[in-house]
Amino acid sequence: MDAESLNRRKFMTISGAAAAAATVGIEGILAARQAPAHAQGTKLHLLRWNDFVPAADEVLLKQMPEASKALGAEVTLERINANDLQARITAAISSGSGPDIIHVLKNWPHLYEKSLADVSDVAEATGKAQGGFYPAMTELCKVGSSWRAVPHAIVGGQIAYRKSLFEEVGAKEFPKTWQQYREVGKKLKAKGYPIGQTAGHTFGDAPVFWYSFMWAWGGKEVEKDARTVAINSKETVESVKFAVGFWKDACDEGGLAWDDSNNNRAFLSGTISATINGASIYVESLRNKEKYKTEKGALMHTDILHAPNPAGPAGVFHLHAPFSHAVMGYSKNQKLAKDFLRWLHGKEQFEAWFVAQKGFSVGSTTDWEKHKMWDLDPVMLPYRTAARAFRLYGYAGPPGRAASEVESKYIITDMYAKAIQGMKPEDSVKWAESELKKIYA
Amino acid sequence: MAGRAGSGAGMVEGALWRKWVFFYVPLTFFVVGTLFPFYWMLVTAFRPDGELYRPWRAVNNTPFWTTQPTVEHVLYLFTQTMFATWLWNTMFIAIVSTMISLFCGLLAGYALARLRFPLAGGLGTGIFVTYLVPPTLLFIPLADIIRDFRLGDTPWSLILTYPTFLIPFCTWLMMGYFKTIPKELEECARIDGASRLRAMVQIIFPIATPGILSAGIFAFTLSWNEFIYALVFLSSPQQKTVPVGVVSELIRGDVFFWGPLMAGALLGSIPVALIYSFFVEHYVAGLTGAVKG
Amino acid sequence: MSRAHPRPIAGGAGGATEAAHLATLPRDATAMGPLARLLEDERVLGFLLLVPTVVLLGLFIAYPFVKGVWLSLTSATVGNPGEFLGLSNYVKIWNDSIFQRAAYNTFVYTAIATVGKLTLGMWLAILLNRHFRGKRLVRASMLLPFIVPTVLSTFAWKWMFDPTFSVLNWSLYHFGFIQTRIGWLTDPVMALGSVILVNIWRGMPFYAITLLAGLQTVNPELHEAAALDGATAWQRFWRITWPLLLPVTMVVTLFSVIQTFADFQLVYVLTGGGPANATHLFATYAYQIGINTGLLGEGAAVSLAMFPILFIIVVIQLWYIRRVEGA
Repeated sequence: MDAESLNRRKFMTISGAAAAAATVGIEGILAARQAPAHAQGTKLHLLRWNDFVPAADEVLLKQMPEASKALGAEVTLERINANDLQARITAAISSGSGPDIIHVLKNWPHLYEKSLADVSDVAEATGKAQGGFYPAMTELCKVGSSWRAVPHAIVGGQIAYRKSLFEEVGAKEFPKTWQQYREVGKKLKAKGYPIGQTAGHTFGDAPVFWYSFMWAWGGKEVEKDARTVAINSKETVESVKFAVGFWKDACDEGGLAWDDSNNNRAFLSGTISATINGASIYVESLRNKEKYKTEKGALMHTDILHAPNPAGPAGVFHLHAPFSHAVMGYSKNQKLAKDFLRWLHGKEQFEAWFVAQKGFSVGSTTDWEKHKMWDLDPVMLPYRTAARAFRLYGYAGPPGRAASEVESKYIITDMYAKAIQGMKPEDSVKWAESELKKIYA
Repeated sequence: MAGRAGSGAGMVEGALWRKWVFFYVPLTFFVVGTLFPFYWMLVTAFRPDGELYRPWRAVNNTPFWTTQPTVEHVLYLFTQTMFATWLWNTMFIAIVSTMISLFCGLLAGYALARLRFPLAGGLGTGIFVTYLVPPTLLFIPLADIIRDFRLGDTPWSLILTYPTFLIPFCTWLMMGYFKTIPKELEECARIDGASRLRAMVQIIFPIATPGILSAGIFAFTLSWNEFIYALVFLSSPQQKTVPVGVVSELIRGDVFFWGPLMAGALLGSIPVALIYSFFVEHYVAGLTGAVKG
Repeated sequence: MSRAHPRPIAGGAGGATEAAHLATLPRDATAMGPLARLLEDERVLGFLLLVPTVVLLGLFIAYPFVKGVWLSLTSATVGNPGEFLGLSNYVKIWNDSIFQRAAYNTFVYTAIATVGKLTLGMWLAILLNRHFRGKRLVRASMLLPFIVPTVLSTFAWKWMFDPTFSVLNWSLYHFGFIQTRIGWLTDPVMALGSVILVNIWRGMPFYAITLLAGLQTVNPELHEAAALDGATAWQRFWRITWPLLLPVTMVVTLFSVIQTFADFQLVYVLTGGGPANATHLFATYAYQIGINTGLLGEGAAVSLAMFPILFIIVVIQLWYIRRVEGA
């Protein structure tokens, strides 16, 4: 959170390791003590989502004028709803004009591959300087042999749960398997505090839950060859059957109508006892301590703990929300943009932002697991290593355009939703299979 | 004149119970049904956040009143977001695009309703057909046009594109209205020495004022509420309009700021509601004309 | 006012049609300059009056319209123009189960919402046509659902339908109508009903106020005469009011049907097309394919799937209105 004013020496140390003998880039400019080489009046436009953690956005907003001064160009940050990013990206790419750098989520680097500039130099340098990217981030941002986006952060998903309620039904520790989770959930639902998950058409929470659920049973969308549809398997059918039982026994059945924000509200109002989410529930309860109380009158934030997904027959899996920055191919300021990204993703700038996040977003490299910030709050500790177990859409194939289509058509989510609403599990899996076959044809 | 048309009670005998059953009761249902969401929005805008997250069956749940009203949401709206700027932007854009659409719609409506010329039918249908393509598709190629004319991130990107769906509507409305004005009026004027143009402007348009008002009010409302073009063609926070700005700023990831959100919804409707209440009587009279065969 | 005989036309080229157009010239036609004379010509004036519209629409919608149609005939994706495919996209979506569901939903949505809006709007118009205290205030306030920015009022409804917090459930529970909550957006049939409800809520004022204006032109003496002849209120409505209002009704319905068919914002905010595609409409599905998946060609095809249907509806209504409005 401490936005130190720009210090030239520090500037050089940030980027120094990343671009050793470089005389290009910011450090080169500063070393030469010359006016920046970019034309006067150049503007750099960065488009990002409106971060859930306002403090982190404030850090970014403070960093913009610093960057502007260092680069000799005006850097502006525009923020919109994550949901609306793709509409802007589509219009921008179609018309060939718009923001220079855009925040890309999920596997969009694959989707928009041809319209994004090659940022291999920035990405590889950053990764090397900060301990190496998580393999999932590499897979997401590197398409073929070139990087189309520089990984920025990961919003990890962990299960937030009510410590006291779980203890009341005899679970001193968070359940380790789905079977145990279901049993605990059954008891909790009987007391009026079910588990809550969405099975609706939501941008974030639905895929995060249902994809990892399917993987926990060993289900997958396609084989490694990225062509053979593999979803109609015994494992998947088992997972669907379990899901139906799990839903009826343990879940808040309103979840079919939930969007990404409903589980936050339900948890904070005390109507559900557990849900998988980013850390937004906990962070919100910390931000407004007095607003959220448990039914016993205690402050909600004292009763929240986090845990990773329970294990299914095939293990523990997670799908997180990855965030990267891409330089648009139509941008006239690509070099400037890359310099900016090198600076923004550099240790010092990223650190300021990372600390403000308090763990809601984690770094995309393993170095950030070691940061002191994690010592501050033990409740957030599970998020520290969350990104290690990070599987991607389209498993076991690559997270390419077909995987995007499956995800944005909510095929996996609907496969479970249909069964929950009464369709026979075999039929809903067959439906998903036919849809996938059309997509992967 | 006093509302004899319509259902029921023009009679006197046995009228009172009839009046209640057929008039007051249904009217009350309509008023309550239409307006209770606004009442709820009003309460939410002034309700402290702590009271908001009460499950529906919770004992202390009071959805329709609050014992501790607060203005913090309204203050938040005006100090932490650029709401005032957005209000101004939206007002400016709506007024200018309405004026452009009215101008074009007025002239085109007159031409199509009153004058015979080749291609009248084709052009008339063509104008109307453009209304059929949804903006959720159009915004993509429109982005090309905005880029070519360098209108990106300026209010003109909206002022010049809103008429694309406002003009067909205004034209159609004005056509209907002109059809009700007797042709003799123009003919008399022309016999008396006025040119066609003068007859149109000085005789017919003044009579059409109520129709112009009604078209204008609807056009204003449609501009005011538009979302997707405003989302795509504007980027600086200072340029944004109310719907886009409010949604972007007050919905962060998976947390909604309900208090300021509802305050924004209500305050974002007040200017238009004021205009409506001012013009509503004229407006009603105006539509009378657009209707007659 | 005495009518002067039109002077014979002096000069001017052209044959009978020319003469016909200039036939009713004002008295001092010959004193006009050539420009003014040109403007007297119906055909020239007609064209000129259309110029602003044609220019504006030509500049801003001609190209997008054509490009939109073109997109639906190619395999375009974001950033890649793709190749010409003819009608393949349309064939593909025709066989798409989600598209079929969206088509069904859209028709049901439009049909029920339109009937609802028309019925309730007509009823409200009849009620508002009377004179009562506070009439002006009530008339103005009835318009509020239409005035509020759609995206914001839809969020309010979302909260009101929320399974955990619904104020509707609270009210029904406290009036003793229900014991367990109603799944407004949870149950697939209920969800479609709920979005239709919000559409009716939002659109009814438009119908009401427009029909109200129409009602005010109906001569009250007609009703009195019919009442004296013994007609019931319903008969009076059906035999007098309804036929006289038909032109208005058709105009309003035309606009409303087109807008409802293309409705996007409402469903997108309330359900995103869920649960399990139960509320997907053409527009929301097109958006999902075109924008979220980047398949512009297919998305355009879904968007334009409505076009032929709408076009036919428009032509039919145009024909009807022309006919009803007489010569």
